[in-house]
Amino acid sequence: MPETLTVGNLEAWYGESKVLHGMDFSVRAGEVVTLLGRNGAGKTTTLKAIMGLLDKRSGSIALNGREIIGAAPYDIARKGIAFCPEERGIFASLSVRENLLLPPKVAAGGMRVAQILELFPNLKERLDSQGTKLSGGEQQMLALGRILHTGARILLLDEPTEGLAPVIIRQIGRTITELKTLGFTILLVEQNVGFAAGLADRHYIVELGRIVEEIPGAAFEGRLGSLKNYLGL
Amino acid sequence: MTTILGVPSAVLYGQLLLGLINGAFYAMLSLGLAVIFGMMNIVNFAHGAQYMMGAMGAWFLLNYLGIGYWWALILAPLAVGAIGIVIEMLLLRRLYKLDHLYGMLLTFGLALMVQGMFSDWFGSSGQPYSIPQALMGGSHLGFMFLPNYRAWVIAASVVICLGTWYVVERTKLGAYLRAATENPMLVQAFGIRVPRMITLTYGAGVALAALAGVLAAPIYQVSPLMGADLLIVVFAVVVIGGMGSIMGSILTGFLVGIIEGLTKAFYPEASTTVVFVVMAVVLLIRPAGLFGSKPEAAQGQPQSSLSAPAPSARTQSLIFLTVAACLAAAPIIVYPGFMMKAMIFALFACAFNLVAGYGRLVSFGHAMFLGSAGYVCGHVAKIWGLPPELAILAGTATAAVLGFVSGWLAIRRSGIYFAMVTLAFAQMVYFVALQAPFTGGEDGLQAIPRGMLFGLIDLSRPANLYTFVLAIFLGGFFLIMRLVGSPFGRVLKAISDHDARAQSLGFDTSRYKLVAFTLSAALAGLAGSTKAIVSQIASLTDVHWSMSGEVLLMTFLGGVGTLYGPLVGAFIVVAMQNYLAAFGQWVTVIHGLIFVVCVLAFRRGIVGELIEFWHRRRRAPAATQAVLRKVAVATKE
Repeated sequence: MPETLTVGNLEAWYGESKVLHGMDFSVRAGEVVTLLGRNGAGKTTTLKAIMGLLDKRSGSIALNGREIIGAAPYDIARKGIAFCPEERGIFASLSVRENLLLPPKVAAGGMRVAQILELFPNLKERLDSQGTKLSGGEQQMLALGRILHTGARILLLDEPTEGLAPVIIRQIGRTITELKTLGFTILLVEQNVGFAAGLADRHYIVELGRIVEEIPGAAFEGRLGSLKNYLGL
Repeated sequence: MTTILGVPSAVLYGQLLLGLINGAFYAMLSLGLAVIFGMMNIVNFAHGAQYMMGAMGAWFLLNYLGIGYWWALILAPLAVGAIGIVIEMLLLRRLYKLDHLYGMLLTFGLALMVQGMFSDWFGSSGQPYSIPQALMGGSHLGFMFLPNYRAWVIAASVVICLGTWYVVERTKLGAYLRAATENPMLVQAFGIRVPRMITLTYGAGVALAALAGVLAAPIYQVSPLMGADLLIVVFAVVVIGGMGSIMGSILTGFLVGIIEGLTKAFYPEASTTVVFVVMAVVLLIRPAGLFGSKPEAAQGQPQSSLSAPAPSARTQSLIFLTVAACLAAAPIIVYPGFMMKAMIFALFACAFNLVAGYGRLVSFGHAMFLGSAGYVCGHVAKIWGLPPELAILAGTATAAVLGFVSGWLAIRRSGIYFAMVTLAFAQMVYFVALQAPFTGGEDGLQAIPRGMLFGLIDLSRPANLYTFVLAIFLGGFFLIMRLVGSPFGRVLKAISDHDARAQSLGFDTSRYKLVAFTLSAALAGLAGSTKAIVSQIASLTDVHWSMSGEVLLMTFLGGVGTLYGPLVGAFIVVAMQNYLAAFGQWVTVIHGLIFVVCVLAFRRGIVGELIEFWHRRRRAPAATQAVLRKVAVATKE
């Protein structure tokens, strides 16, 4: 059954302050979809809200038609959604191997470790190093790699290019394209418009905690002018 | 007989073995503390009580159910671990988002409750627990005699420690634990049930303490307080080693045990204090601890502070004068002895509040200032025969010096570590008081003369004595009140809010903290000296850790960080001591219960909650008031 993620009227709060004011969007099976927007628009918060990492949220998050907004945070991953956080979240007290194997299997059909290491050859020689001794790019690969063996088919990636060198960014881009051909469904949060443009099937523009526009991937170049307004380019 | 450096070799080896045994228990207990702290950020003050419950459990199983040592080794830790799981689910779970100190206070309350109940049921004297049949006897190693049971304890503890280390550092489960220690939210997002893992970790850490307790039962006497003093040494071990690393805890535990053993062989007088000296040296050289990677983060989450603004200077003076008048008139209806005791403790609590409430340096060792000042004051008045004002001055000065030295070392750490360091120093002072010749040991100093104040006023007359105590209390209180409102007090509050930010504004924060701590110690010493003159006794009670706990209780019950909270708290606690004395050990249980309730339900304390309530009512929008009035009118009609 193809996976879809449908978010409806999603609101979320950090303590007293409301950050999401009714997000509406969906990701269809096998798609790569981006959330684009300025700093503080609510992109990362949207991913965290989907993963159940916020104290207070309301609205609807449906996975294949089933409501999951009430589920405990540890249950959401088990329904087949994997999360690659901003700033990578590599554990300093774990080796690269332990980091890679940490997320438990949630479904059959995850990638094998050998396959993941083929995708990210840099990690192969560093398996026994401390996780945070890796370079930024390697840490990003580790953060991506570790969610591929769990069997989750929907990946939420939060700014995987942040703070990385152009050559590494291109490599990450190729990886995401490859993951798409492998059938993964990807929701990507980005500020790097150039990077997102070449990858995604559709783009959503986020502003002040709402979706303000949806742009098909093909139309992206033509709309760049009006996008500058939204994205502050 | 061969000697090594002047000590008979048999004695040396014997003490080394004893040191190794003690070290084994330090290692097992600090290991459990480290695992629990890593996972839940709670310094488990109940660890000593849970160790005791393990030993008591073994004793209970044997004497009531006829179940022997080997089964006890399994059953007692399981039972105590299960109790730990219940405690985590019912109580500790509510504290994870608060300052780490609350966890320490709550588990301290639990420890008091457990120890009080067991003391009531079994008496506080020790019960023997015999060595199991299979491990009786011993063997001659040529240079010394090694009892089998001691060999077993060392072997078992090494296996337990290394086993725990292996599970945490080398297994998949351990990887989950370590990851959850760093970033529990992300681990949850991977689909791991972190809350359940935390519960089980606490259960396992507690079971480890109980297991150590069972192992200890045949060596030490089984008694309700066996864990309390041990835990303080373990805290010192934790400060020496740093809580960051499992292997560090194990090594430090054994190391400290061996150092203690060697000291006992070469210089027995210092054997009880050497751990604390080592701690002081480590604090000087490597404040983060031998194996600690970095000192703790500067600040935890904010305390539930008051949102009400301070009252105006005029209101403040008015309240002060009213309180003064009430205290002056009180002896007409209240027993003056009670009033004097309460005022002395109130001064003590206010002094404590100066650092705990306004500087947010919660000391667990303030009894050392109260007690040592009492001893010095008593000594000066009784043995040297000096008048009371000089005796009190000497006591206060001693406390100030002690506060300066211990504060100079302790402020290198903050938060829970500060609490542990001060507790450890206070324990050192306690041992000194226990052994030093001039304190009178267990008997204390008795029949301290009250004397003639300034050579004019006879303090043995009740009215004079009452006036004297009242004057000292009001003077001390007034000083604290002015300090808190002064620029100094404001800087202190700023530092407690955010140390680094205050530093970036150009304040030498360490100096402010040290001055505040020394002042607080001096005022606590003033209370202690006055107490010695009034009660004519200086005893070990006043330097014991339970006194440090009592001043914490008074301050938190009344309202930490409020001017009058400690005063209210002191009166309540002293009244409880007076009127509930018939309940014996249950007073301790009630104290513990108050801690638990305070931490869970009203962290602002009585006065704090009252101020908050008053303030909220005044802030309530007029519209609501109007609606309420209409409703009231409507119901009348």
